[in-house]
Amino acid sequence: MKFWLAYLLIVPLFAFSQEEFDSSTNEKKLEWSGNLDVKYSLLQMSQTSPAYQLQFYSSKNISRYLSQYRIEPYLNAEYKSGSVGFFMKTHATYFSDEEATVDLFEAYARYSPTLNTSLQLGKSVYNWGKGYAFNPVGYVNPLKDPENPELAQAGILSANVEYIKSFSSGSLQTFAAQALIIPAINTINNRFGEAKYTDVAAKFYFLLLDTDIDLMIYQGSRSYKKYGFDVSRNIKENLEFHTEFSLTRNADRYSIDNGILNRERGDIYSYLFGIRYLSEWNTTVIAEYYRNGFGMSKNEFESYQDYLLRSIAIGTPDAIQQTLGISQTYFKSNTLMRDYLYVKLTQPEPFDWLYFTPSIYTIYNLQDNSFLLSANFTYKPETNLEFILWHTYMFGKDDSEFGSRQIEQKVELWMRAYF
Amino acid sequence: MKTKMMFILIFLFSINLQAQDASALLKTVDENLMPESYEAYRKIINEEPNGSKKEYTFYTVKKGKDKIAMLYVTPASEKGRATLRLGENMWLYVPNINKPVRITSLQSIIGGVFNNADLMQLEYAAEYNASYAEGTEKEYILDLKAKNKTVTYDKLKMWITKDKKNLRKVEAYSASNMLIKTLEFKEDKNYGNGLIRPSVIETTSPLYKGYRSLMVYQKIKKRQFPDEVFTQSYMGRLGDLR
Repeated sequence: MKFWLAYLLIVPLFAFSQEEFDSSTNEKKLEWSGNLDVKYSLLQMSQTSPAYQLQFYSSKNISRYLSQYRIEPYLNAEYKSGSVGFFMKTHATYFSDEEATVDLFEAYARYSPTLNTSLQLGKSVYNWGKGYAFNPVGYVNPLKDPENPELAQAGILSANVEYIKSFSSGSLQTFAAQALIIPAINTINNRFGEAKYTDVAAKFYFLLLDTDIDLMIYQGSRSYKKYGFDVSRNIKENLEFHTEFSLTRNADRYSIDNGILNRERGDIYSYLFGIRYLSEWNTTVIAEYYRNGFGMSKNEFESYQDYLLRSIAIGTPDAIQQTLGISQTYFKSNTLMRDYLYVKLTQPEPFDWLYFTPSIYTIYNLQDNSFLLSANFTYKPETNLEFILWHTYMFGKDDSEFGSRQIEQKVELWMRAYF
Repeated sequence: MKTKMMFILIFLFSINLQAQDASALLKTVDENLMPESYEAYRKIINEEPNGSKKEYTFYTVKKGKDKIAMLYVTPASEKGRATLRLGENMWLYVPNINKPVRITSLQSIIGGVFNNADLMQLEYAAEYNASYAEGTEKEYILDLKAKNKTVTYDKLKMWITKDKKNLRKVEAYSASNMLIKTLEFKEDKNYGNGLIRPSVIETTSPLYKGYRSLMVYQKIKKRQFPDEVFTQSYMGRLGDLR
């Protein structure tokens, strides 16, 4: 069924592509770019937090204040020749000679036989959805960090085709379709995937009556299917409204029940409403309400916290390892509960101070009234040089989501140099 | 009574003729500035009171009266970003997150005196109604009023040379008649195919005292594009056109 769906989605895109257009110069171009991030973090740990006690179980009697100094080089390459292109994005994290990693964020080849059709094979980043901090319809997106939604992340192995069509009259101005094939994610010996676990996904975009509309479908191999849509529109000249809605059928939702991992299977709804507003003083306000259908209720979160505390009380390495494993596999999301409010205010260049941008944002858990508050200051004194100062503080009771995080507050200083 | 009516009719008729004449002049100004569909390279230079400068280079493509797209070529920190305007819809594409987001024309992406509307200017005649103000010996002066609320500046005052109908200066005002910025069009240059126009637009603003922004047109070439170039989905591939 899935293979037929993929076939039906992909073949017509090429069949109906329009006549060839000289979309590029035939000049061969290889371009390198990238940036080097140098990051210093000062962290005040919450030593009573269950998450802290699990994470630092084997490191007793350490200071409440920790620091981290790391460098993160990003290196990108882009080669184009006529209708063929190759793109690569790499990222490395260096803590010390003993502790360093390299990630391949993206590596794909693109063939554009016509201007309105393209085929892309390799590892690519997708970013479905209109939400800024959350994307319930981001079925193929990297796991988003609402604390830093604009950070580059790793893509997924996939093959995709895209088709675009514009209309010069009528209410439909643009139509675009994107179809993806995603090979099995779980592999045997880290090399082989079972062919039957190949997933397919598709997104259809319409610019209709000055409104962006996307329809998404994800046909998962492990019985679940996802359906979603998003909408975005400027309802006033300085006010944009966006929404996302997602339904996952036969989805697994996890919680802890009497100290045991509990899996419920059923239909899950998640949605988001948001605005982006520009005031006459040039302040940008982004506000979003997010309903996370996969999240835990207040009681379930308390059970989860009890489960962590119980493992710490048992204190054996096996118990700690097992609990850490469950926590990092099933409860690794940045939003573990159901109802969130995100608000961000950005004021570029206040008091005529050019290239300086302060912003403040909060992620507020509406169920337990805990929240994260962060102030961010960006300064670009020179071309290709950026400094970012970041101060984040958690508020909430000990058993609340943000109040129980392992970090109470953190100050980060980034220097970012581009080339 | 009849004579009174006749005077009123003649007065109204002459106002209408003047408005038509002003609109025709505004269209000529647009035609003298840019071909209807083109590609161009521009440099923006932001100068600060202490003398330091920041430069950006853009590759711009435009088609017809309502489609324009712009790609950041330099500096490295902005490279790959793109903005698209389709009528009053405007999007910003950030390569890191591989996603276009809706923005408003008032926002300034690069800092400095220019905002999106200045960088993504379509045609004056498409956005403003024109009428004559009292001119000078060598220049016409037009008063422009925005056709709707979505246009960034509510009013413009425009100075145009009488001989070649070239734009020399524009003052932009808010709805409350506050001067927001002044654009001066300087240094005429021959771009080929009969296009001779000012190559430098110098912008100052009473809101940013001591700061100055220059927009320098390096290349302008008439070129036709399919409509699909001006779509959200194509924003990440705009560089393929260069």
